Amino acid sequence: MENSIEVSDLHKSFGKKTAIKDVSFHVEKGEIFGLLGPSGSGKTTTIKILTGELTQTHGKVTALGTDASRFSTADYKSKIGILSDNSSLYERLSIYDNLKLFCKLYNVPLKQIDVMLQEVNLHEERQTTVSKLSKGMKQRVMLAKALIHKPELVFLDEPTSALDPGNMAHIHRSLQKLNEAGTTIFLTTHNMEEATALCDRVAFLHKGELQELDCPSALRYKYSTHAFHVETVQGDRLVIENVPENANRMKELIGNGHVKSIHTDHPTLGQVFLKVTGEELVS
Amino acid sequence: MNVQRIHAIFEKDIKDFMKNMMLITMPFIPIVLSLMYTRFSDGGVLPISMLYIIVGATYSAVTSSIMMTMMAEENEKKTLRGLVQSPASYVDILVGKSLVVALVSFTSLLISLLIVGIDPFLNLKDVIALLLLFIFFLLLGIGIGLFSKSVASTSAYIMPVMFLFGFTPMIEALGIGKESAVSQVANVFPLMQAIHVHENNSWVSLGIIALWSIGAAVFAYICFKKTTTDD
Repeated sequence: MENSIEVSDLHKSFGKKTAIKDVSFHVEKGEIFGLLGPSGSGKTTTIKILTGELTQTHGKVTALGTDASRFSTADYKSKIGILSDNSSLYERLSIYDNLKLFCKLYNVPLKQIDVMLQEVNLHEERQTTVSKLSKGMKQRVMLAKALIHKPELVFLDEPTSALDPGNMAHIHRSLQKLNEAGTTIFLTTHNMEEATALCDRVAFLHKGELQELDCPSALRYKYSTHAFHVETVQGDRLVIENVPENANRMKELIGNGHVKSIHTDHPTLGQVFLKVTGEELVS
Repeated sequence: MNVQRIHAIFEKDIKDFMKNMMLITMPFIPIVLSLMYTRFSDGGVLPISMLYIIVGATYSAVTSSIMMTMMAEENEKKTLRGLVQSPASYVDILVGKSLVVALVSFTSLLISLLIVGIDPFLNLKDVIALLLLFIFFLLLGIGIGLFSKSVASTSAYIMPVMFLFGFTPMIEALGIGKESAVSQVANVFPLMQAIHVHENNSWVSLGIIALWSIGAAVFAYICFKKTTTDD
């Protein structure tokens, strides 16, 4: 499959401090890829290198077939969308005027503003001045701004960090819809439920090094104890290892009608991260 | 350079300017100054240095100050990064913003000069000098605005710019002799050179103002490059 992003032996230092150590990965076209890690792990540095805001110390980086040395060209910029901690809005202007500016910069018809405002659930507030919006509403406008030109590749740094569960679900649906239309999404998040629900593959970045990379279900399986947690009708809780020797015991429990519930022992993505890095995934 | 993108930035900045109470009052400073000077002159003709102080006041209090504040605000609120991340080039961004400042500055200058008397400026070399001075003050505003990083800190730079570059001819009022080192240095400043252009019809003075503008352009370029990446 064609790759939207290819990163090979990426290394970034700020003076004597190393932010990223020889990281390699690729993101397939049409994939939702999650980069997970605590603050200071190198996530934002990676996004900034991919968006041309930083230059790598060494290593090869290409995105959409463009080499990192050409990330500042208008052609590359017109194909990507960015929502990061460096994103912001003009506070004295309305939502509509903010999006109008970016429609014109990207040469997009103005009717796209209404489409995007429907997507982020802000159509009713289109003439509201940005300074009067809540933090969550501003985050949604910034997401609309990042997606208004239907980019091929979107970089989202903590896209739902300021949103309530209702709006978070709305944004997730919009991102999935965008992805179904063929857009590749590269996101960073601390929200493990979000990563599990949205991402096709996730990478764990810890202290600038890539620790794991796979699809969430595969990682959860890999770090599972492979045991069955059985609750009997008598109220007993049994942990039975998933090995051939236990087949008869399981058959007996089920056959005798003793089983109330059976669960496999798959850890959450957060628990996997803790096992891999020894650190909780907190901001 | 892309005309549509320049127009988009110009349109956004005009709307933003009209809603910014701090900026919208600035163009009135040279107009009020002109009215005061006219009253002091009691109907007589103002000395040429006074006329150039009006020019300096316009370019420092309007051109430089507005540009400085606009760039510092874009930098502080991180909206400049949004523009840089779009397909708009550095030239598109700076030209779009400069057009707003040019419109406001030249309107303010025209009204001010009509009040004090525009006739002394109606010759080719003086017009070229006025345009070069505008470019110098504009680029100085861009550079300082990006360098100062916040709107609050621009106030520390606005006054020195006004007194050093906007009111240079007033050095005579301090009683410093024309032969003193301070006067000699001040004599090379762009506003003094514009007076030389008017008085001596000098191409050399126009060249010196052009050199000041090139220096300001280099300063603005370095500050812009530093601001638009995190390296």
